Amino acid sequence: MKQMNTDKAQTSKSRRSFLGMLPLGVLAGVVVSIGGAAFRFLRPRLSAPNEQWLDVAALSELRGPQPVAKKIVAEQISGWAVTTEEHSVFVLPEKNNQVFSTICPHAGCEVSWEQSTNRFACPCHDSYFAADGSRISGPAPRGLDALPSRVQDGKLQVQYRVQDGETQA
Amino acid sequence: MSAPFSDRKAWLQTTGGVVGVLLLVQFLTGILLAFYYVPSVDHAHTTVSYIEKVVSSGSWLRSLHHYGSQWLALFVFLHVVRLFLSKAYVNRTLAWIVAVVMLGLVMAAAGTGYSLPWDARAFFSTRVAEGLMSGLPLVGRNARFWVLGGNDISTITLSRFFAVHVLIVPFAIMGVIAWQFGRRACWTNLSRNAIVGGVVFVALAIWCAKFPAPLGPAVEAMTADYLPRPGAQFLWLYELLKYVPGGLGSIVGVILPGMGLAILLLLPRLKAQRLLGSTVLGVLTAGIVTMTIVSYVSDRSNSHTREQLARQTAEEAKWRSEPFNPQLLQASQRESQTTSAAPVMYTKFCVNCHGPHGEGAQQGTLRFPPLLDVAAKPRRTTEDIVSLLKDPTAYGLEPPMRSFKDKLTEEQMREIAAWVVQLKR
Repeated sequence: MKQMNTDKAQTSKSRRSFLGMLPLGVLAGVVVSIGGAAFRFLRPRLSAPNEQWLDVAALSELRGPQPVAKKIVAEQISGWAVTTEEHSVFVLPEKNNQVFSTICPHAGCEVSWEQSTNRFACPCHDSYFAADGSRISGPAPRGLDALPSRVQDGKLQVQYRVQDGETQA
Repeated sequence: MSAPFSDRKAWLQTTGGVVGVLLLVQFLTGILLAFYYVPSVDHAHTTVSYIEKVVSSGSWLRSLHHYGSQWLALFVFLHVVRLFLSKAYVNRTLAWIVAVVMLGLVMAAAGTGYSLPWDARAFFSTRVAEGLMSGLPLVGRNARFWVLGGNDISTITLSRFFAVHVLIVPFAIMGVIAWQFGRRACWTNLSRNAIVGGVVFVALAIWCAKFPAPLGPAVEAMTADYLPRPGAQFLWLYELLKYVPGGLGSIVGVILPGMGLAILLLLPRLKAQRLLGSTVLGVLTAGIVTMTIVSYVSDRSNSHTREQLARQTAEEAKWRSEPFNPQLLQASQRESQTTSAAPVMYTKFCVNCHGPHGEGAQQGTLRFPPLLDVAAKPRRTTEDIVSLLKDPTAYGLEPPMRSFKDKLTEEQMREIAAWVVQLKR
């Protein structure tokens, strides 16, 4: 008889601790099922590199020994929006119309052409690049990034891509 | 763990647990939706479509938020009824007051939330809110302006509803919960509450996996024959407003329910509690249940309505199967505008108030609205503007704007409308 009572007490004790866990279990169930969906919901959506060929300029405009600054307009889909962004590039007419991004490979500032010293200068951390885009001095890990280009119907076209900073060097 | 597990009455005392679980669902899904939603008339519908069509689990999470809000309203109401039956207004006044306040807050959250997707049904729900406010005695005019944030429904109105929906009401709800549990830390009947809450959550999750939350056409794309229907928790109000003449709508739709809530709130302090409380709850329950049933029945029995609603459902299904179309954001560069000259009749009749280029004007204290970008507003297509010129009051415009039905031919109105819709800032 005494034995039975202890058994009963034990069952009721374990039952009580099971019931005590129930609210936590339900809470966890709700949070985990919504949390799983939340992970998929918030996962960043990476877009494939833009393979569009964008017009830079007519070949007839690209002359002379100096790099020519040009603006290109790229359409970009970011989530629910299509945005048009303007990017600057330099064309080197002397080097077979090679096109360079103006983004400094160090920290992403925009370089400009210094006519007096015949070089590209980055305004942020004093990196300098030669007229052919190669690195001269400063913290930049490499020269300016060349963009894929082609000539179509007498026009120079590029594919605009942004390369990562130092991680890719 | 006082009552045995098989105690039926104890199982019925779990409405609080269900409300707790559903509130948790509303908070979690609401936070997630805010990651993509943009509260602006330009982007709201696009971003909600994006959540529905593109984002993984987006449709399910939005459905949880949508149907969860309806279930929440139901269970908070049942919770109030349950507390009333157990005389909580005498022996557990704090729980009672919290439950009644929660009912008001949940309805406020639902009412403001309905406007956010800025689809056709959101637009009409905003219109109804506007009408209910403007019909309030004494304060109506100002209440309407305060709700709208101006003299017409605009993107400012949407921002207001958004701020109330995501900041004010949730903070108030958290405050109320903190108040209850800060004062009374004893938990009774907890595991039964958890079990029933869990079961309701599973049911809601399955329901939402099966049924996506509705999304009507964007306000710009809405046709004149569109029949808006509110969510289940407002069907009673929608049906009720059919039967009361104009200005009385605000009394029946806002003041009476508000007074009912106030009486319930003050019940612990009132005399004849049982009688007053059961009258209020009885009238509310009877009214809500009857009107909701009547609204379902009348939609079914009228063949014209039934067909139109079926058409809308079919159109929504078709829209759902189409791929998402990203929206072009025009940043700084807008194409150079080649605005053609104003039509002769515009120069004759409209210029004095709206300016030679549609820029608006000020005459003394009267300020006349500009027409620039007017096509971006709801209900301002060329067709709409032609109808508006015939009957401005039908479009919510007030004098001095007058009807030009007798002064202009259909063709002249069409010419003016076509010129006005292309005006840009």
